[in-house]
Amino acid sequence: MSTVLAQIESQIAKLSSTAVRKNTGFITAVADGVAKVNGLSDVMYNEMVAFPGGVIGIALNLGEDEVGCVVLGDVSQLKQGDEVQTTGKLLSVPVGKGLLGRVVDALGNAVDGKGAIDSTTFYPVEKIAPGIMARKSVNQPLFTGIMAIDSMIPIGRGQRELIIGDRGTGKTTIAIDTIINQANINRVGLASGDPAFRPVYSIYVAIGQKNSNIVRTIAALEAAGALEFTCIVAAPAADNPANQYLAPYSGAAIGEWFMENGMDALIVYDDLSKHAVAYRQISLILKRPSGREAYPGDVFYLHSRLLERAARLDGKGSLTALPIIETLAGDVSAYIPTNVISITDGQIFLETDLFNQGIRPAVSVGLSVSRVGSAAQIKATKQVGGKLKGELAQFRELAAFAQFGSDLDAKTKAQLDRGSRIVELFKQPAFNPISIELQAVTIFALQKGYYDGIDIKTVTKTSASIREFFKTRQDALLTEIRTKAALDKDLEAKIVTALNAWKSSAA
Amino acid sequence: MAAVPAKTRVFVKQLVQLSLVNGRVSSEQVAGVLEYLEKHPPARPQVVLGYYRDLIAAELAKGEARIEHAGPVAPSAVAAIAAAMTRRYGRPVEAVTLPNPALFAGLRVRVADDVFESSVSGQLAALAASC
Ligand SMILES: Nc1ncnc2c1ncn2[C@@H]1O[C@H](COP(=O)(O)OP(=O)(O)OP(=O)(O)O)[C@@H](O)[C@H]1O
Ligand SMILES: [Mg+2]
Repeated sequence: MSTVLAQIESQIAKLSSTAVRKNTGFITAVADGVAKVNGLSDVMYNEMVAFPGGVIGIALNLGEDEVGCVVLGDVSQLKQGDEVQTTGKLLSVPVGKGLLGRVVDALGNAVDGKGAIDSTTFYPVEKIAPGIMARKSVNQPLFTGIMAIDSMIPIGRGQRELIIGDRGTGKTTIAIDTIINQANINRVGLASGDPAFRPVYSIYVAIGQKNSNIVRTIAALEAAGALEFTCIVAAPAADNPANQYLAPYSGAAIGEWFMENGMDALIVYDDLSKHAVAYRQISLILKRPSGREAYPGDVFYLHSRLLERAARLDGKGSLTALPIIETLAGDVSAYIPTNVISITDGQIFLETDLFNQGIRPAVSVGLSVSRVGSAAQIKATKQVGGKLKGELAQFRELAAFAQFGSDLDAKTKAQLDRGSRIVELFKQPAFNPISIELQAVTIFALQKGYYDGIDIKTVTKTSASIREFFKTRQDALLTEIRTKAALDKDLEAKIVTALNAWKSSAA
Repeated sequence: MAAVPAKTRVFVKQLVQLSLVNGRVSSEQVAGVLEYLEKHPPARPQVVLGYYRDLIAAELAKGEARIEHAGPVAPSAVAAIAAAMTRRYGRPVEAVTLPNPALFAGLRVRVADDVFESSVSGQLAALAASC
């Protein structure tokens, strides 16, 4: 017996006397969240390095005889001469379902006061995007719950659709609506017990925003019951630029876990303009050469490697990305907007003019596209809304022309009238996504002329009343539309009957 | 260090090359370099000499295993460490010993910017970091 113990003891003694090798360096300068380090001859690009006091950093600049590290954490306690160690690890964040309903910082630490994150799996923050062979074409819809988008600019799972517009045009609202809509769909789908149902989990990455805005967003998600399906990665404006730079990649890693494990996820980057600014700040401090608008030369790669990580993987799940870009005075030809437009699969363009005219969501139908298009639409939506985009475009043209006040013939007048009814129909309050079956009914009613002959100003209200009627009284019919996902003669007749019932009840 | 201009760096690196014989710093060569610099002073001699000192110090550190120890170390252990490091780095490494009571027990060996830690204080720090 004692010999066995002695054997173990000697094994332990051998273990604890093994020398651990560490590659070290020392700080030569610290400024603006960046530490210059002498030594660290073995450090890898993007490797985590350990400063004294548990502070970590990332090696971003590997120079001839010094390494530039961004410090993630409290810089104030670091000083010249402090020892720095390599860790041999790339930065990684906790991933998994334990992150749902939580708010974390760029390093995956909980910041919501609800205790530690329940997760044992870690994913590297930087990862090479899936290659061509692993990808599958995008043809499963991801409903935003916004009628103007789902009917005319449809988004598919695994797609990257840019939301772009000036300050305060409702960009964040569209993203939040989409997250809320996923939660609504998840709840219905999971309750139905359908084994083929694929829930969509959401990740909202807030970059460089005011804390008050982030709190408002969280409150909106919570009020809509969407927080339980959502993870929020927050790198607010007051956070150091290194964390703001990292946050989207951390969010992508969290999303990739869902994709790799056969689930679908949606990620919102709000917004990449501020992300580029944070990266510019880091690059200037690291004394990298700067180019157009003082951004470093690799700012394109900054966003392309991030957005390429959104994909639909063969035999696995998908990650859909909704990056947000803020423009100045609607200028999409500025450096960052053009870059991001070129690496996404389309954009939802929001216009200040429309927003101020009360057309909200302020989606400019003419300037918005989805390159995946109707491949990601269900048949019912195509049947009822297939021609809407053309009709609206024609209306805009005619409306511009009609401003000159010349006499209009009856046909033009009718077209104008119909166009303005469509515009009214697509108005939708914030945080109020509409399910795809109710959208189908709403637009079906348009095609059948249920909004004709009423005062244009009441179209929005009337359509809401139709939806209310269907929601409260026609549950079975709605379920049928949702499950069939296409309208046949029989279904159309049923909807007409229901619409007539609504009409007589409303009268 | 960031203040050293690129041209100066190249120049000083050449001086360092001149100071080495068979990959090791030679005091005669260094004396020769210093004499030359005295006769032909470069622009901003302080910067040049300062950078030269840093690089020579780094070269010296490459060939030196600094053994920090808390208790007594046997001369045979010192020789064994020097031999092991010479083998590991493929260049002659000499051992020097420095007492450091803060380690409590065990050794810490530093060769250039690699640190081999088997001291009690190092193990305690690792233990503290892991929980
Ligand atoms: N569909 C809508 N109906 C009514 N109000 C809306 C709608 N969409 C957005 N708003 C309102 O417009 C304001 C700005 O919206 P939001 O914060 O989404 O815009 P943003 O483009 O993200 O702004 P920022 O540039 O500040 O990030 C908010 O007060 C919001 O409530
Ligand atoms: Mg916003």
